[in-house]
Amino acid sequence: MALFPITSNFEGDFVLQLVAVDTENTMDEVAAAAAHHSVGRRVRARPGQILRVRRQGAEEFFPRSMRLGEAGLKPTETVEIIWQAPQH
Amino acid sequence: MALLNRMDWYDLARTTNWSPKYVTEDELFPPLMSGAFGLPQNAWEKYDEPYKQTYPEYVKVQRDKDAGAYSVKAALERSRIFENADPGWKSVMKAHYGAIARGEYAAASAEARMMRFSKAPGMRNMSTLGCLDEVRHGQMQLYFPHEHVSKDRQMDWAFKAYDTNEWGMIAARHFFDDIMMTRDAISVSIMLTFSFETGFTNMQFLGLAADAAEAGDHTFANLISSIQTDESRHAQIGGPALKVLIENGQKAEAQKRVDIAVWGAWKLFSVLTGPIMDYYTPLEHRKQSFKEFMEEWIVAQFERALTDMGLDLPWYWDIFLKDIAETHHGMHMGSYFWRPTVWWNPAAGVTPDERAWLEEKYPGWNDTWGQCWDVIIDNVVDGNMAMAYPETLPYVCNMCQLPILGTPGKKWNVKDYPLEYNGRLYHFGSEVDRWCFEQEPERYAGHLSIVDRFLAGMIQPMDLGGALAYMNLAPGECGDDAHNYAWAEVYRALRATKKAS
Ligand SMILES: [Fe+2]
Ligand SMILES: [Fe+2]
Repeated sequence: MALFPITSNFEGDFVLQLVAVDTENTMDEVAAAAAHHSVGRRVRARPGQILRVRRQGAEEFFPRSMRLGEAGLKPTETVEIIWQAPQH
Repeated sequence: MALLNRMDWYDLARTTNWSPKYVTEDELFPPLMSGAFGLPQNAWEKYDEPYKQTYPEYVKVQRDKDAGAYSVKAALERSRIFENADPGWKSVMKAHYGAIARGEYAAASAEARMMRFSKAPGMRNMSTLGCLDEVRHGQMQLYFPHEHVSKDRQMDWAFKAYDTNEWGMIAARHFFDDIMMTRDAISVSIMLTFSFETGFTNMQFLGLAADAAEAGDHTFANLISSIQTDESRHAQIGGPALKVLIENGQKAEAQKRVDIAVWGAWKLFSVLTGPIMDYYTPLEHRKQSFKEFMEEWIVAQFERALTDMGLDLPWYWDIFLKDIAETHHGMHMGSYFWRPTVWWNPAAGVTPDERAWLEEKYPGWNDTWGQCWDVIIDNVVDGNMAMAYPETLPYVCNMCQLPILGTPGKKWNVKDYPLEYNGRLYHFGSEVDRWCFEQEPERYAGHLSIVDRFLAGMIQPMDLGGALAYMNLAPGECGDDAHNYAWAEVYRALRATKKAS
């Protein structure tokens, strides 16, 4: 358990924001923490869609259940939080 | 007794270089302060200022200018322009005075450095007058807002903004420290006078004067256009220095200084002047859009100044031309959303009529910034105010110190430009900001942005209250919506009619 700052680049929003998360958080929890500062404030919710996390510029998302501490991110490194339609 | 004509004696009188006998040239003109670029005194004696004025002429002209501006103020003092002004216009004045007034005094010290340490006698002459100009600008822009301090606490920021850690002021200080307070005389002439004053002060002081006159604020219009007549004279200090540098094989160094200063000036104007022109100034008083002003004053005029001088356009010119239609919309949204952290009350500027104007001036606005504003507007209309404020900090750039932002909505292009340097991860708002840092990393690497300070535990408690105290924003000074959300009534009415139909 350790507090860990990340920089959130949230799809559809206009600015990077500092988000405090924990190394124990899963990527779904990281996405939710980032969404708290964007969705409903400047970005409309997208019912039915989920949010995925990836390193800025990466193609691949981190696995949803991966813990932040395992992702190899540096403190304050920027992650992109991207809307994803449910996969069938 | 007949007086000689100016040009019969000016050249002789300014021949004030001599060969030092008791000290070396480097002791007389320490390179760190003089910025000699390896050129001896006599190379700098070729410096020929395009604007030649003598001290008696200067005093006479300045006296008339002061008389004009002060008498307009005196005549209109009882007309209650301030009391009756649109709140958006008051915010323009507050933002302007806070960000500019004390910076003028700082500029006097930068001019004084050229006056003492430049090896070019002509530059020493011109900057003697330039220094007096900046003292005048400081004095006037502290005196004029003073009558409003008793009416409105935020006007006190005309006096104290530069002494605070308010985020916008950290950005302003970082820029002015870089281009004028910590540079040698020649670099000041390039970065402050040629790069910043030639185009950008024209924008702020003439563009804004046009809006002020439209808004009926003739005191402010006269004040700032009077100031600009000085700026347009001493802005010419840098040109001949660039010529000397280019003739002596120093073009690359000169170009680099221009490129750094123009970019920093652009970023500062995107947060200060952009929102003022496109959102705060009442719609009916807007002369041109910010982008149109930029195109006229910076793109057309400054481009010509650069090429006339034999310099190239900055390498990032294409990025810049794209950004003048985008960046300031984000800067406005940022200072509006984080409005408790500024010393003026931002006007939202997003009624249906204003949005139509924005869409016309910036095609695509509704699909981008408009999408974010839709959410903000809904929250205001619903009275869901907790969601119309932030709960964290925006990440700021380690070069310009302003939020790292881009275009939202359907053209989402927000991006971080990171750099690891000596084990520390830096973040930049653009490729250009990062490039500026990389030109001389040691110059900037030790600085802590407001976010770095927060993460280092320097802001306590680590919440909005702690942040406002750190930024020296006392209760009664924090910004809120300029019109107390009255603009949301239009949207309420629109909703009601929609429901009824
Ligand atoms: Fe000035
Ligand atoms: Fe100036």
